[in-house]
Amino acid sequence: MSAVRPVPPITIEKPVAKVWTGARAIAEAVKLADVDVIAAYPIRPYTGIMNAIAAMIADGEFQAEIIVADSEHSQFEVVKHAAATGARVFVGSSGVGLMYAYEAMLVTGLGSVPVVGVVGTRALDDPGNFGMEWTDAFTTRYFGWLISWPRDVQEALDMVLVAYRVAEDHRVLQPHFVALDGAALTHVAMPVYPPTKKQVTEFLPPYRPPYRIDPMDGPVTKAQHIAPSLIGPEQRKRIDVAMLKAKEVIIEAWKDYARYVGREYPPFIETKWMDDAEIALLSMGAYMKDIELVVSKLREKGLKIGTVRLRYLRPFPAEELVKVLSGVKAVGVIEFGFSFGSPYRTGPLYHEVATALYEADERPKLLDFLFLGGREPKPEHFIKAAEMVNELAKGKTFEKKAYWLTLRGEDI
Amino acid sequence: MSSGPSLIRSVKEIPPIDYYTSGHRTCAGCGAALIYRLVTKAAGPNTILIGPTGCMYVANSHQFLTSPYAVPWYHTQLGAGGAAGIGIAAALRALMVKGKRKPEDINIIVFGGDGGFADIGFSGLSMALTYDYPRLLYLLYDNESYANTGIQASSTTPWGATTTFTPSGKVKRIGNERYKKNMALLAAAHPKIKYVATATIYPPLDLMNKVIKALNSGGPSFIHVLTPCPKGWFYAPHETYELARLAVETGMWVLWEYSEGKFKLNYKPRPRKHVKEYLRRQGRFAHLTDEEIDMIDKMVEEEWKYWLESDKLGKIILPW
Ligand SMILES: Cc1ncc(C[n+]2csc(CCOP(=O)(O)OP(=O)(O)O)c2C)c(N)n1
Ligand code: SF4
Repeated sequence: MSAVRPVPPITIEKPVAKVWTGARAIAEAVKLADVDVIAAYPIRPYTGIMNAIAAMIADGEFQAEIIVADSEHSQFEVVKHAAATGARVFVGSSGVGLMYAYEAMLVTGLGSVPVVGVVGTRALDDPGNFGMEWTDAFTTRYFGWLISWPRDVQEALDMVLVAYRVAEDHRVLQPHFVALDGAALTHVAMPVYPPTKKQVTEFLPPYRPPYRIDPMDGPVTKAQHIAPSLIGPEQRKRIDVAMLKAKEVIIEAWKDYARYVGREYPPFIETKWMDDAEIALLSMGAYMKDIELVVSKLREKGLKIGTVRLRYLRPFPAEELVKVLSGVKAVGVIEFGFSFGSPYRTGPLYHEVATALYEADERPKLLDFLFLGGREPKPEHFIKAAEMVNELAKGKTFEKKAYWLTLRGEDI
Repeated sequence: MSSGPSLIRSVKEIPPIDYYTSGHRTCAGCGAALIYRLVTKAAGPNTILIGPTGCMYVANSHQFLTSPYAVPWYHTQLGAGGAAGIGIAAALRALMVKGKRKPEDINIIVFGGDGGFADIGFSGLSMALTYDYPRLLYLLYDNESYANTGIQASSTTPWGATTTFTPSGKVKRIGNERYKKNMALLAAAHPKIKYVATATIYPPLDLMNKVIKALNSGGPSFIHVLTPCPKGWFYAPHETYELARLAVETGMWVLWEYSEGKFKLNYKPRPRKHVKEYLRRQGRFAHLTDEEIDMIDKMVEEEWKYWLESDKLGKIILPW
């Protein structure tokens, strides 16, 4: 599929709410997308999604091959090969499990195979930790996967459906995962309005890769060893351009999603109270709810503060972010990932944001707030972050760029 | 399958068409390249080939965007051979069952090296052999080393062979001191596995017919093929076939098959030649003393008692 098909005006059926956890909602999205091959390997917190899918298949709710793999490496290779053969696939992992799959993820991205999956973000070992961190997902930024980050269960379900549409578009043809903040999203139930089968069928055309590994498509040789002098940079450029094109495809897809399903989202960045904001807190994912709550209270007290929520990490909406934050005096980045020894000892989301804002005519000042080791932040931490950003805007100098607000003891 | 698939009875019946053709640049005399040709002839056109990293990836499709494959072929990561076959088989089954693709018999052959299957991809291979997808053949071409990276020991490198990671030195003289892992026996340890066999280039019809039987066995199958490698074994390229024959005639390579739970020897050397006829032709064993070569011969002699016993019983007995 490439261009948007012309459609007559549609009447959208009245949606019926279900109370679902993130895990269940994703499983329903997989069913709605009529996925053909699924590969599973257990690791918390994403496991519940596969449990739910396996139960649906066992009960005959939908038909798919579900492979119980021997490792995440095999798991991701199974779906890569299935997708290359023409099947729509689903996969997922968390934490060290995702790390174990990295080689397979990498070749899926560099080989341009439109696999779709989820990452239930989780703190990395050692020591083992069921808490939430982002480093598992963030470290895949280089792999050619599209990465989106929902705020709640409803958006998670919607994002999975949109992920298939974007990934499989011939202008993109790259893998895509949706990052669910572990536990905060995977295990929390809320009312969800699933689209109907009919709506999804209209929104999401069947998966038709240009060349399948199937004798029906002739003797396709895929991923043969190459001479760098022949197509080295050109092959990489294809992916670079796919990511560029993905931005227009994403905009189209969300517009279409709203048209068929009746739910609207801003494609890349969701802002609140930003029209006249002098300072902002920026983050992604499930904790945005708490951040927004804190900011709404601070607004009531007269502080000119807003929130910025990134919905996509790849492709990164740099130009859009510059537009949103130009003229804002100071921004606090709230994040859960680490990159030890990095510039100013900041986190990876900070690096992305700082790089994007370097091009702004009026650059806001930045502070980074790192929530590491899985300890949950509380509203008081976000209040503290907002206060510090406010002081930064007022001209206070901070001796560091990154602060660990949940740390006990001295934040050296 | 009481009548069984139709086998190739004589060299004259070998199909003239090649699905592994020109456009590759393996070493002259490469055993693995020779069997690639025979295996794909036996499998025919409705076949998908998967190539885990190794010589049969790099040397086969190297550099100038040429491809020697006249059927679909896809590179897979060194440790991903098992998963690759399962992914394709699962996709084909799902698409056919759900009416998204016309039903058809399609062969999938994963052509992995000893590093790829016996070491880094062992777990994935084992996973694959527990599934029930038909026409899914895992073929291990065993050149007894990580050849593509410049001949390093793997867990199928025989005792006493020198490799760049196990050189024969002044203090550590033997070279590789580990014993060769028996991958076909390990494959046979998967309950309900339909077909497991060993083969080499000699005799060629034995190899081709095993491929036909494996693909028609009704489940995933495994064939361990010894493929002499002039570069790694240090012998002249024209001796490849001869070395395969000697491996069999000295009893160092045992030809057997295990079909639907029944074990059978395909060749019994009578009399068995002394292993020196095979080992002394290869530079990688040149540092071994006559006593050490004799010791290997005694080990082989001892093992053969169990192979013959297994053949008599039709059941596998561990040969050590
Ligand atoms: C994960 C990974 N580790 C290491 C390598 C480097 N490597 C490339 S080819 C190869 C040798 C593979 O050996 P084998 O499977 O025995 O095949 P052969 O080269 O002997 O044909 C290795 C180790 C790789 N490609 N991938
Ligand atoms: S090194 Fe051995 S296996 Fe590799 S291409 Fe040369 S002969 Fe064949």
